[in-house]
Amino acid sequence: MAAAAVQGGRSGGSGGCSGAGGASNCGTGSGRSGLLDKRQALTILPRLDSSSWAQAVLPPQPPKYLGWQWKIDDKPVKIDKWDGSAVKNSLDDSAKKVLLEKYKYVENFGLIDGRLTICTISCFFAIVALIWDYMHPFPESKPVLALCVISYFVMMGILTIYTSYKEKSIFLVAHRKDPTGMDPDDIWQLSSSLKRFDDKYTLKLTFISGRTKQQREAEFTKSIAKFFDHSGTLVMDAYEPEISRLHDSLAIERKIK
Amino acid sequence: MVRAGAVGAHLPASGLDIFGDLKKMNKRQLYYQVLNFAMIVSSALMIWKGLIVLTGSESPIVVVLSMEPAFHRGDLLFLTNFREDPIRAGEIVVFKVEGRDIPIVHRVIKVHEKDNGDIKFLTKGDNNEVDDRGLYKEGQNWLEKKDVVGRARGFLPYVGMVTIIMNDYPKFKYALLAVMGAYVLLKRES
Repeated sequence: MAAAAVQGGRSGGSGGCSGAGGASNCGTGSGRSGLLDKRQALTILPRLDSSSWAQAVLPPQPPKYLGWQWKIDDKPVKIDKWDGSAVKNSLDDSAKKVLLEKYKYVENFGLIDGRLTICTISCFFAIVALIWDYMHPFPESKPVLALCVISYFVMMGILTIYTSYKEKSIFLVAHRKDPTGMDPDDIWQLSSSLKRFDDKYTLKLTFISGRTKQQREAEFTKSIAKFFDHSGTLVMDAYEPEISRLHDSLAIERKIK
Repeated sequence: MVRAGAVGAHLPASGLDIFGDLKKMNKRQLYYQVLNFAMIVSSALMIWKGLIVLTGSESPIVVVLSMEPAFHRGDLLFLTNFREDPIRAGEIVVFKVEGRDIPIVHRVIKVHEKDNGDIKFLTKGDNNEVDDRGLYKEGQNWLEKKDVVGRARGFLPYVGMVTIIMNDYPKFKYALLAVMGAYVLLKRES
């Protein structure tokens, strides 16, 4: 694969040139030595490039203690780094964890419960159709069957509209209770996207003020290579500051207003 | 030099950890996995029942076992069973003999019709030497409308071979269904 060739090329290049600047196998002449020195430097310096895992810089690291302590039984999240959906899920879960544990917000399950209810109702129609048809064999069961089938497909339509327009790609809705207890809660929403076979992960944080009902958003788009190391472990020391920065940028605006 | 190990095989990082996704889920997500599986099964079931209601036949898609030279083993047949459609000689009908499970796909060769629409008909397979009286119930010489599963409206060649294979080797069918079911239940969708 191209990634392996690049990695092999880089290690071959740096191995060949590590002897000394000016060794004959590193440069072909004084006129071009400036360009080659720069190229040597670039191959040795780890560079975060969007095109391949081989150029990600992070070696495996144990989690350090930050301002807020990790729970004792927290194991680092390790996934198959080539599996796009596992990468997105682990990034989403960790972002959720930061917001719920560091800032102590309370998760609101309303959106998820809505989706689960729609699915449960659809399955209920299917089960009714199945049992009715079993007890009253076909020609007599026609009206009930027709009703159940139509209801099922209507529910499927409702589910599609719900996930596309209401839920979108939001995976966390968290409430921040007002400390004085008088104003309604502020709402924080997290949504993310990671295209298939792409490495750019976009995380969007939305803040809806409880009092003024105003909405503000902040987002970042970074390569997933910045957050995962070679073995597929998510390095929270690199990820958590990003999330905190997003959060603080929205929280600070609130204080100024 | 190329370090093939770093990027070569696309294997799960921790060996065969099939329950890995499930272990990290909370109750709602687990319920959603089960629901996802149930919805896939329900969709297939509802499409089948929907076809039954639309065509009026209790088995709107059948696999042909033998009716050379018109149909070959493994062809898929689409049936409808509307009560207003008359049954005429020369048409291909799918019928079930009382007491037998397997529907038979043969051609109608003789029809007797009363004024009020009651019909008695006789069938024969295109490839057979004699008519189907040997296949009917003891003492039955004619078929009636209630025995009809449907009349052939269209067909798809070869597609039914999969069904024949799955019926001949039931273990293959159960293995396939188990693998597909496990995949849907254990893998988390985003």
